[in-house]
Amino acid sequence: MLRLVLIAIRSLAQHHRRTLLLGGAIAVVTALLVVLLELSTGLRATILRSATTLMTGHVNVAGFYKVTAGQSAPVVTQYPKVVEVVRKAVPELDYLIERGRGWAKVISESGAVQVGIGGVDIQHEPGLHKVLRIREGRLDDLAEPNTILLFDEQAKKLEVKVGDLLTISAPTPRGTSNTLDVQVVAIARDLGLLSSFNVFIPIGSLQALYQLRNDTTGALMLYLKNLKAVPAVHARLREALQNAGYAVMDDNPKAFWMKFDSVNREDWTGQKLDITNWDDEVSFVTYTVTALDMLTGVLTFVLLIIIAIGVMNTMWISIRERTREIGTLRAIGMQRRRVLWMFVLEALVLGLVSTSVGALLGVMICTLLNAAHIAVPIGVQLFLMNDTLTLLADPAKIIGAVLFITFCTTGIALFPSFLAARLKPISAMHYIG
Amino acid sequence: MRRLIEVVSSLLAILILLLATPARALMDREQLLQLLKVLDDRQQNNGDYRALVYLEQKERDKTDVIREAIVYRRSADQRLIILFSKPKSEQGKGYLRVDKNLWSYDPNVGKWERRTERERIAGTDSRRADFDESRLAEEYDASDEGDDNLGAYHVHRLNLKVKPGVDVAFPIVKLWVDAATSNVLKRQEFALSGRLMRTLYYPRWQKQYSESKKGDFWYPPEIRIYDEVEKANSTIVLIKTVDLRPLETNIFTKAWFESKSR
Repeated sequence: MLRLVLIAIRSLAQHHRRTLLLGGAIAVVTALLVVLLELSTGLRATILRSATTLMTGHVNVAGFYKVTAGQSAPVVTQYPKVVEVVRKAVPELDYLIERGRGWAKVISESGAVQVGIGGVDIQHEPGLHKVLRIREGRLDDLAEPNTILLFDEQAKKLEVKVGDLLTISAPTPRGTSNTLDVQVVAIARDLGLLSSFNVFIPIGSLQALYQLRNDTTGALMLYLKNLKAVPAVHARLREALQNAGYAVMDDNPKAFWMKFDSVNREDWTGQKLDITNWDDEVSFVTYTVTALDMLTGVLTFVLLIIIAIGVMNTMWISIRERTREIGTLRAIGMQRRRVLWMFVLEALVLGLVSTSVGALLGVMICTLLNAAHIAVPIGVQLFLMNDTLTLLADPAKIIGAVLFITFCTTGIALFPSFLAARLKPISAMHYIG
Repeated sequence: MRRLIEVVSSLLAILILLLATPARALMDREQLLQLLKVLDDRQQNNGDYRALVYLEQKERDKTDVIREAIVYRRSADQRLIILFSKPKSEQGKGYLRVDKNLWSYDPNVGKWERRTERERIAGTDSRRADFDESRLAEEYDASDEGDDNLGAYHVHRLNLKVKPGVDVAFPIVKLWVDAATSNVLKRQEFALSGRLMRTLYYPRWQKQYSESKKGDFWYPPEIRIYDEVEKANSTIVLIKTVDLRPLETNIFTKAWFESKSR
């Protein structure tokens, strides 16, 4: 077998121009695939990090309270009792935070924006300190009542800076208009689509705005030690809360704010809990990852077809050039299977070396792009959930890409190799190419 | 010297006017309730109502939008329909109130959505209550804030607070009621926080004889609504061709609404 590998390498070296051309093409395709895969992995990681800080836990216990059938508020009443059930049912819990939820209009002297309001207890929000990059003001000032944190884009729209006053206007769960005057204490850098419609105020101020009691919150956000436990915890919590006597809504993998219409159509009043996970809550943005994955797939497919034609063509040329050699080898006793292997190994060596070089090139490009901290335009930020281009290497995916393209190039070589192996020694030896 | 004489004579005129106006004793609880009932009764028809309505919406940095709608009402079971006919993009959309539920319909998606009764109508500054019968006595407790002048009109100023357990969009309302005619000329609505949210002006009132009521039915042909939070926003509601004849029996149903939406 080693001899066959040596023959394959010598053959590739002998036709170095052809080898370089085809190998270069395979390497470029592999590098492109690696870059796209790293972009997709980076995007998914950014979404997970941003989303699980801004608007969702790994698993959430939220819900709706309906005063009348047609009027729902995204709240969990008497949440300390729910917390007790959650703590008993989820030993995998790392930490838990309560977050107020609302949907309101934030108004300045020169404009207004409709946003989701997060009510936070900033001293118990470790994630926000890690993820938010404060451009102006201090995040810890959110501990003061009647304060607000905005993101860059919102501050620009409202034409405000730290220290300015804003009015938040929203109806209470009973539909009565209410307002709250707040002072801007911090402005954070944008985090893409997720930050464009989120602001934060202290939980006490949110309760005052919506006239909620102290034991009412918007959602209990559960952060687990291991993300892989999410599906199991999700299912277990549903059962545990139902067993504890809570009415739990049917599974609906959507963000809470997308459920108002369907909840308002249902004929019930009172409290129902809703268990969701981070994937459900950001389903409206993960389409960007899906779209990128699809683009990667289509692009790879098209490029692979081009490579396949190239590989097959090269193999045909190689076989034609070496027909007399095949005849001689067959005449001195080389079996058909070994002839087949000789050509398959040539394609395998070409594929493996080229894809490895391509993968290395792709990783180098990604490293350079990351190091350059390339700022992306606002339109692109919406989809990347970040203000700079972030790529993240996943070794398993890179190895997978290398093996996949090598497998394809080798597989394509099987047919011409098979035909070469079937050549009769006498006719092959008399072949004049 | 001439300027001084002008100022002194103006001050004297104001003083004489103040002295000539007899101070009115504040109304007691019963009188206030009666006044609210009078205000409600003047705007109630005790039957059916149909009106062509125009809504002109002005918003900051946006083009003005004019909507045309037909409003149907039935006093007996407090039913209401607002069916938009213009512009084309709004045609067939609207609201139906049945048993304290306000439903919104969009023919483009063919779905009914339950909305709060206190929601803005079509995103304008108007609310369902602006198109509905007045229920001040039922929803609010009033206090007398004395008399005042509003332009050329002598008015009673009333302060209304929502009754416990009643859900309204604005828990505090101030009214300027024409002392001579009992027409509401100005209305200010406040949020729970005490912030002024909307100011409404009723420049004119018209009456029409109602067969079902066996008396006069009053309505404001024009309502000017000013958003006091987003100062640049306002809405003008024009109420035209009011028809008080009985409507079809089955009109306040989803099926009828959908048939008109097509």
